Amino acid sequence: MTQHSRDLSRRRLLFGGAALGAGALLVGCTSNEAAPTAAQTKAADTAAGGNSTPGKKVTIGFSAPAADHGWLAAITTNAKAQAAAYSDVDFKTVEAGADAAAQRAALSTLIAQKPDVIVMLPHDGKELNAAGLEAMKAGIPVVNLDRAFPDALAYRLQIMGDNYGMGVAAANYIVAQLKAKGVSTPVIGEIPGIDSLELTQQRSKGFADTLAAAGFKVANRRPAEFTADSGQQAATGLLQALPKIDAVWNHDDDQGIGVLAAVNQTGRKEFFMVGGAGSKKAMEDIQADNTVLKATVTYSPSMASSAISLARLIGQGKGMSDLVELQVPKEIVLASETITKENASSYLKLGF
Amino acid sequence: MTTHEAAADPAHTATGPLVEAPADAVPGEVVLRLTDVVKTFPGVRALDGVQLEVRAGEVHCLLGQNGAGKSTLIKVLAGVHRPDSGQVEWRGQPAEFANPQAAMRAGIATIYQELDLVEDLSVAENAFLGHEPRRAGFVRRGQMARRTRQILGRLGHGEIPPGRMVRALPAAGKQIVSMARALSHEARLIIMDEPSAVLAHDEVGNLFRIIRELTAQGIAVIYISHRMEEIREIGDRVTVLKDGRTTAANLPARDTPTRDLVARMTGRTIEYVFPDRPADSGTGAELLRVDGLTRSGEFADVSLGVRAGEIVGIAGLVGSGRSELLETIYGARRAHAGTIRMGGHALRPGSVGAAVRAGMGMAPEERKSQALLLGEPIYRNVTLATFGRYARLGFTDAGRERAEADRIADSLELRPRDVRRPVRTLSGGNQQKVVVGRWLLGDTRLLLLDEPTRGVDVGARAELYQVIRELAARGVGVLLVSSEVPEVLGLADRVLVMREGRMVREAPAGELDENTVLDLVMAGSLMEGAPA
Amino acid sequence: MSDSTPTATPDRPEALPPQSSPVDPAVAGAVGKGPAHGSGGTGQLSWWRGDGGEGTRRNLGLIGVLVVLILIGIATRPDLYGDSSWVWNNILTILKLASVVGVVTVGMTFVIIGGGIDLSVGAIVALAGVWCTTLATQSYGAGGMIFTALVVGMCVGLVNGLLVSYGKLVPFIATLAMMVAARGLAAQISGKQTQVSDNAAINGIASTSLLGIPLLVYILAAVVAAGWVLLNRTTFGRRTVAVGGNPEAARLAGINVRRHTVLLYALSGLCCGIAAIMLTAQATSAQAAMANLYELDAIAAAIIGGTLLSGGRGTIVGSLLGVIIFSTITNLFAINGLSTEAQNMVKGGIIVAAVLVQQFQFRSFTQFLGRNRLTTG
Repeated sequence: MTQHSRDLSRRRLLFGGAALGAGALLVGCTSNEAAPTAAQTKAADTAAGGNSTPGKKVTIGFSAPAADHGWLAAITTNAKAQAAAYSDVDFKTVEAGADAAAQRAALSTLIAQKPDVIVMLPHDGKELNAAGLEAMKAGIPVVNLDRAFPDALAYRLQIMGDNYGMGVAAANYIVAQLKAKGVSTPVIGEIPGIDSLELTQQRSKGFADTLAAAGFKVANRRPAEFTADSGQQAATGLLQALPKIDAVWNHDDDQGIGVLAAVNQTGRKEFFMVGGAGSKKAMEDIQADNTVLKATVTYSPSMASSAISLARLIGQGKGMSDLVELQVPKEIVLASETITKENASSYLKLGF
Repeated sequence: MTTHEAAADPAHTATGPLVEAPADAVPGEVVLRLTDVVKTFPGVRALDGVQLEVRAGEVHCLLGQNGAGKSTLIKVLAGVHRPDSGQVEWRGQPAEFANPQAAMRAGIATIYQELDLVEDLSVAENAFLGHEPRRAGFVRRGQMARRTRQILGRLGHGEIPPGRMVRALPAAGKQIVSMARALSHEARLIIMDEPSAVLAHDEVGNLFRIIRELTAQGIAVIYISHRMEEIREIGDRVTVLKDGRTTAANLPARDTPTRDLVARMTGRTIEYVFPDRPADSGTGAELLRVDGLTRSGEFADVSLGVRAGEIVGIAGLVGSGRSELLETIYGARRAHAGTIRMGGHALRPGSVGAAVRAGMGMAPEERKSQALLLGEPIYRNVTLATFGRYARLGFTDAGRERAEADRIADSLELRPRDVRRPVRTLSGGNQQKVVVGRWLLGDTRLLLLDEPTRGVDVGARAELYQVIRELAARGVGVLLVSSEVPEVLGLADRVLVMREGRMVREAPAGELDENTVLDLVMAGSLMEGAPA
Repeated sequence: MSDSTPTATPDRPEALPPQSSPVDPAVAGAVGKGPAHGSGGTGQLSWWRGDGGEGTRRNLGLIGVLVVLILIGIATRPDLYGDSSWVWNNILTILKLASVVGVVTVGMTFVIIGGGIDLSVGAIVALAGVWCTTLATQSYGAGGMIFTALVVGMCVGLVNGLLVSYGKLVPFIATLAMMVAARGLAAQISGKQTQVSDNAAINGIASTSLLGIPLLVYILAAVVAAGWVLLNRTTFGRRTVAVGGNPEAARLAGINVRRHTVLLYALSGLCCGIAAIMLTAQATSAQAAMANLYELDAIAAAIIGGTLLSGGRGTIVGSLLGVIIFSTITNLFAINGLSTEAQNMVKGGIIVAAVLVQQFQFRSFTQFLGRNRLTTG
C-alpha cells in the first residue's frame, strides 16, 4: 500500500516535472521574433519648406478593427510607424473591438479626448457614418480609410482603395497574357474572398466586366475566406473541377499562400495566376518566378501611412506641397497597380 | 395534511363537493366498454384482445405484471395510440380518440406514473396547460389562479399556492397538481397509473380520500397499482391483464383471494412469500461500521453496523433520510461528519470508487435514471461495474463479459435470457435483477439496496427476495431500505427504524410487528395514531 | 445492398434470423409458426437488433446517400467522370478534403457520446496551428512543431475538461468561452499575421503520397481506426458510453465520471492538435482565423452519422461517413461550378433530413419496443 502510494507520488512528481518542462518549452515557443516588418513609411523629408518640416503639434486619434488578417494588421502597423516618423505628431490609438457597435463606443471616448484629427478604418462605412458626423460636428476633422461613409459631411478626407479597379487590373493582365499566347477560348478560374462582402462583389464585377469586353468569361469560381486554409480548400476544388486551366485570379495574397500550396500539392503547372492586395510574400514569389504566381494587383495598406501624413497636414492647416491647393483634397482613390516580375523590386517595400 | 380519520369523517366533506358532478352522470351506468381491443407494434402484439368495462362512480383496478399491456391500454384510452381493431365505447357511443386532446375533451384524464408536468411553469399554468381561460388571446391569469385555488382546496390542498413553480413541490404535491389538471377538464374518467408509487404512507391516505370523493360524484377511476393492500382498500372491481389479454374481468376487489389474482396475472400461484431466515444470521464478522454519520438537513448522528451474511433493513418514510444515508455510505454523497469503515478500514469520504473497491455495491432507488443504460445490451449493464476486470491492457473482452453475464442471468433466472437484448426491453423486475446481478460479479461483500422491489411485480418480487437471501447465505452483508414495512420485516434479520434523519429503534426483525414499526416511523408526524 | 439476408421470403424479412438459409425448411417453418409479436425468450435476435445492428443499418443508409451524390456527379459531369484517372484522383481529393475535419470529428464524436459538446475545436486547431508555426517553434524543426501542436491541443482540451467536470460549467458554455479565448490567444501569438511554414517536412505531409494514396488519407484512416478500436474495444470506450448514456448510473457503478470527462475533452484536443498539423501542412501556413467553423462541420457530421446529441450512442464509422458526405457535396458543387450559397443550403437540408429519418425510423421505433414489448414469459 505504502510502496504503491510512494510509486504513485513519484509518478506524479515525474509527470508534474514533465508537464512543467513542456509548459516552459511551449511558452518559449510563442515568440515570433524576426526582423520587424519594414513598415511602409515615408521618411521625414528634411528639406526646409517641405511638408515634413516640423510644425504645430498635432494629436491624431486612430481607430481600426481588431485585425484578423495580414492586411488589417498592416494598416495599424503602418499608421503607427508613420506617426512615429514625425516629431510633431502625438499618436493615440483606441481598440475598435470586434464589431461596429464596439467601435462606435471606442470612438465616442476618443472624441471626448478632443484630438486634432481622427483617422479611422470603420468596421462598416454605413454603420459608422454617424460616428463620423459626430466627430466632425465636434470640430474634429475625420480621415476615413478604405470603407466609404455615405454622407459627405461625415469626413474631411476619404482615402480608398479601388476594388472594382483591382478586378479590372487583374483581368487586363490576364487578357494581355492570353492574347499574347494566342489562346482564344481560355479556361479562367477565380478564387474570391468572403463572397458576401461588398468589396468582394466589386472586385469580381470588375474582373468579369473586363474579361467580357475581351470575349472571355470565368469558368469556375470557388470562394475562400481570406485565410490560407480556406484558400487551399477552394483552390483544390477549383483544380479538381477544371482539369485544364489557362489563368486564375486569386483575390487575396494571404489566402493565396494556401492557393499556391494547393497548386503545388496537385503538381499543376499549366496555368498562371494573378494575386491580389500585394503581400510581401507574393511579391517575393513573383520576383523569384518559381511558382504559377506571375503578378498581383495592389490594394495597398500603405494607405494608412498616407492617411497619417495627410491627417497631420490637415491638423496643421497645410496643403500638399506638390499641389496648388492650399488644403488637402477631400477624396483620394488609390489606383490598383499591377506588380509583375519586372517591377516587383520597386514595390517590395509596400508589401505587407 | 389530512388523515385516514379525517377521510372517514363525513364532516370533512361538508366544505363542499369536490367537483361538480357531471349533470348527466348516472351512478352505476357503464361509461367505458372495450371489446376485443388489439394493438400491435412492429414485432409486438401489445394488446391482444382486451375486454374492460368501467362504471360511473367506481374504482376499477387494473392488475397485471409489467409488460402485460397496461401502459399500452392506458395510452389507447388517453388517445396516444389508436387501436388496430376492436371496439371502444365511450358513454354508449363508439369512440376513437385521434389525439390526447380529443380524449381530454371527451372527459378522460390520465395521471401518468412519470408525472407529465412542466417543471418550470406554475401550479396554475400546469393545471390549465393547453386550455387556459383566455380572452382575446390573452391568458386570464387571475381567473386561472382563482379556479386552480378552488380545485386545490377541494382536493384538500389549499395550502399549495397556484403561483408556485412546480419544480419546487415535493412528489406528492406534483401528483396533486396532476390531479388538479384532470379536474380542470371536468373529467368523467380519471386513469391513475401507480399513483401511490411516489407517495409516502400518509399521503396515500389523502389520495384515497380524494378518490372516494371523486367517485361519490359519479366520476369513474381506473386505478393501477402493484400493491394488493391498496386494491383491497380503495378498489371496487378488478380486471386482470396478462400478455395483452384480459384473463379475468370485474372480480370483486375486496373478496377475491390474493392467490386467485396472482394466479390470473402469472399463470402460477405464488404467495407473497419471504424466504426463511437461517438461524445463524448475524453471527458473521462485522463488515460495515458507521459512526456518527451526519449530513445536515438530511440525517444526523447515525451509527450502524452490518455483519457478513446479515440482512439489515431500514424502515422509514420518504424524506426520513434513509436514501440519503445509503448514498452517503456508498460515497455518492459526502458526509459532513462521522466515519464509514469497511472491514475495519476507514473509507475515503465522498468516493464511490473507494467504496466499490472496498467491496460495496448499490442498487439505487431510481433504477432507470440511476442504474441502467437503457439502450445498451443486458450484458453490458451487468458488467458495468466490472468490465475493467475482464479487460487486458485496456481492451475489453466481450466474449468473456457475455459469458459472465450469462452465468448471472442463469442464476437469477433472467427473462428473457438473451443478454444481447437492450435492457429497456426488460420488465421492472428483470431490470432490477440486472442491477443486483451487476454486483454479484465483483467481490461485493456488502450490497446496499434502495427500494429493491419498487415497480416490481409479485412474481419477480418473490424471486428477488430469494436472491437477496441466497446472497446473504453466501456471506454478503445486505443493507436494505424500503417504504414497505412488511418487506423490511419479512426479509431483514435486523431492523433499524429511521425518522426525520435519526435512528429511533434497532431490533431483530422477529421482535417487531408492522404496527409497532408504523408507529415508530410516523410518530411525531402529523398522523394521529397509526393507520389500520 | 443493405444485407445478406436472402430474399426467399420477402414478405416477412424482419422475422428471419441472421444467416438463415432460404432452403432450410425447418427454420422457415419455425419462423413461420413463431409468434410475430414474439413474447421474448427465444434467444434469437432479429438482425437489426443485434450488437451494433442499428448502427450498421444507419451506416448503410449513409453509404446510400453517398452513392446518390456520386450518381448525381456522374449525371452532371459525364465528361469528367469518363476519365478514370480523374475519377480516382477525385476520390482522393474528396478524402483529402475530409481528412482534417474527419480527425476533428473523431474527437468530437467521443465528446458527444460522452454527453458533452466541444465548440472550441476550430479554435484549438487554429491555436495549435499558430503555436507550432511561430518562428521559435519552427527553429526546433518538424519534431518540435508536431510536439507543440499535439501538446497545445491536448492541454487546451484538458482545460476544457477541467472546466466542465470540476468547474461544473455546462459544456456548451465552457467550450464556447474556450472558442473565443483560444482564437484570441492565437491572434495574440501570431500578431494577427499569417505565419508561413518553411518546414519542408511539415509541408510535405500534404504533398506526399505512398502507393498512390496521400499521406493525409493515411492519417485520417489511422485516427479513425484508432478511434474505432478505442470506442468499441476498450474500457475507455465503454466508460464513454456509460458516462454519456447515464452519468448517474456510471458514477454509482464506481466509474470516475469526472476524470473520464476530462480525458474525453483532452482526447478531442489531441485530435485538434493532429488536425492542426495536417491543416498547416495543407495551407503551408497558419493563422488565427484558420479552421473557421470546423466545430459546426464536426458536430453536423457526427449527428448525421447517428451520434445522439444527448450522449450515450454514436459510431465512429457513421461520423466518418458524415464527413465524407459533406466533402462529397462540396466537391459536387465545385465540379459543377455552382455557388457555395446553394451548397450550404443543401448541407443544411441533409442534416435535417438525416436526423428526421433517424428519429422516425430508429429512435421512436426502439422506444416503442421498449415500452410495449411483452417481456415476462
